[in-house]
Amino acid sequence: MKAINGRQPAGFTRRTVLFIGSLLLLYPFIRFINHRVPRKPKIVEVNGTLKANGYLAKDDFILFSGGDDIWAVSRTCTHLGCRLNYKEKETLLECPCHQSRFSTRGELLRGPAKKELAVFPVEQKGSPPIYYVTIL
Amino acid sequence: MIIGQKIKDLLRDTRWGDWCLITLYLSLVSGIIVGIHYDPAEPFYSTSAIDILVPYGRYFRSLHFYSSQFFFLSAILHYYGVFTKADSYPAKPYSALILTLPVALVLLFTGYVLRSDSTGFSAGMIAEHILEAIPLVGPTLNNLLFSISDHGLNRVYLHHVFSFDLLFLLLAWEHLRRYKVTFSRHLLFLGSVLFFSLLVAAPIDPEELGVFYITGPWFFLGLQELLRYLPPFLAGIVFPASLIIALIFLRRQNRSFRPILVFVFIWLGGYALLSVLALVAHH
Repeated sequence: MKAINGRQPAGFTRRTVLFIGSLLLLYPFIRFINHRVPRKPKIVEVNGTLKANGYLAKDDFILFSGGDDIWAVSRTCTHLGCRLNYKEKETLLECPCHQSRFSTRGELLRGPAKKELAVFPVEQKGSPPIYYVTIL
Repeated sequence: MIIGQKIKDLLRDTRWGDWCLITLYLSLVSGIIVGIHYDPAEPFYSTSAIDILVPYGRYFRSLHFYSSQFFFLSAILHYYGVFTKADSYPAKPYSALILTLPVALVLLFTGYVLRSDSTGFSAGMIAEHILEAIPLVGPTLNNLLFSISDHGLNRVYLHHVFSFDLLFLLLAWEHLRRYKVTFSRHLLFLGSVLFFSLLVAAPIDPEELGVFYITGPWFFLGLQELLRYLPPFLAGIVFPASLIIALIFLRRQNRSFRPILVFVFIWLGGYALLSVLALVAHH
């Protein structure tokens, strides 16, 4: 194309080329930052005595025992991700940021959270027992 | 009335801009010093080690913390102090300068997140959830800026020490080129910041059993409270963005100056009220 009066024709200016070039670069950039290497399931080994109807708190979950059952409930609040604490007297988990409440089985008792908590599989081995909690 | 006028005069006459620059330089230098011992793979451990084990570590962390806080506060007061003189500023550089305020706030905020204590951890998780809640681009933005759940504090650290500072300098570059500060004219202020950091340690909140209510940094309190009532996108993005947009258009030559001014006052009053609520209502 010929420049008219020293200017590029309006339809195909240097700016347009730059703009289209930037858009083309944007695609690999977004693909790059959005790529997630698949996470391996994290298995946490818990050594410690878990009394009947007792609990053990770890960073990511709380391990509970009741009757013959042992289960692990996530400590990540489903509202905004704060770490939940266990209120032993009231037997419930409460979020320190906005006071959402959950039962020890992860059921939602009070908002602002809207979803229940994740419950992780627990495997028990040996004597004295070692608990293996798989965080998915 | 006289006291009110005196406070007003003091706010107008103090050279907040100079103080702003001094604390910015102090914050940058002390940040580099603290960064020598900080490890984003072991954030809480390395922050505690800086405080407890590293010689003068507590002092340098405190200097970084308080110089950054003073920087942000003096930036706000500088804005107030020169507001009436800024009419001649063209719209584009003026908007860029207003945008330095949220960038500075994000730098302060990521500093809190990086220490990874109980408030820092929660603040980081909340920020991640707010970003994720932005329609369409939220997950991408979170992957770019935070992604704490998947990648720990690597990205927050990268942006705190590099990208957000670059962005800040880019926005403030013309302004910084135009105004210089002579340190020797502000020795008393400089000495006060250095001495204050010697006396008062920077906060750190280890996780404690039996703590059922934690509050975020002082500037985050109102937002924390609002997140209780509104969805994250409205409370965490739309609400703060409305103030920034209002500040960009808050110019005396603007026809809508009065209504925008009223909006800014209502916003600030509402935020102050929410912050007080966050402190007193849920214990």
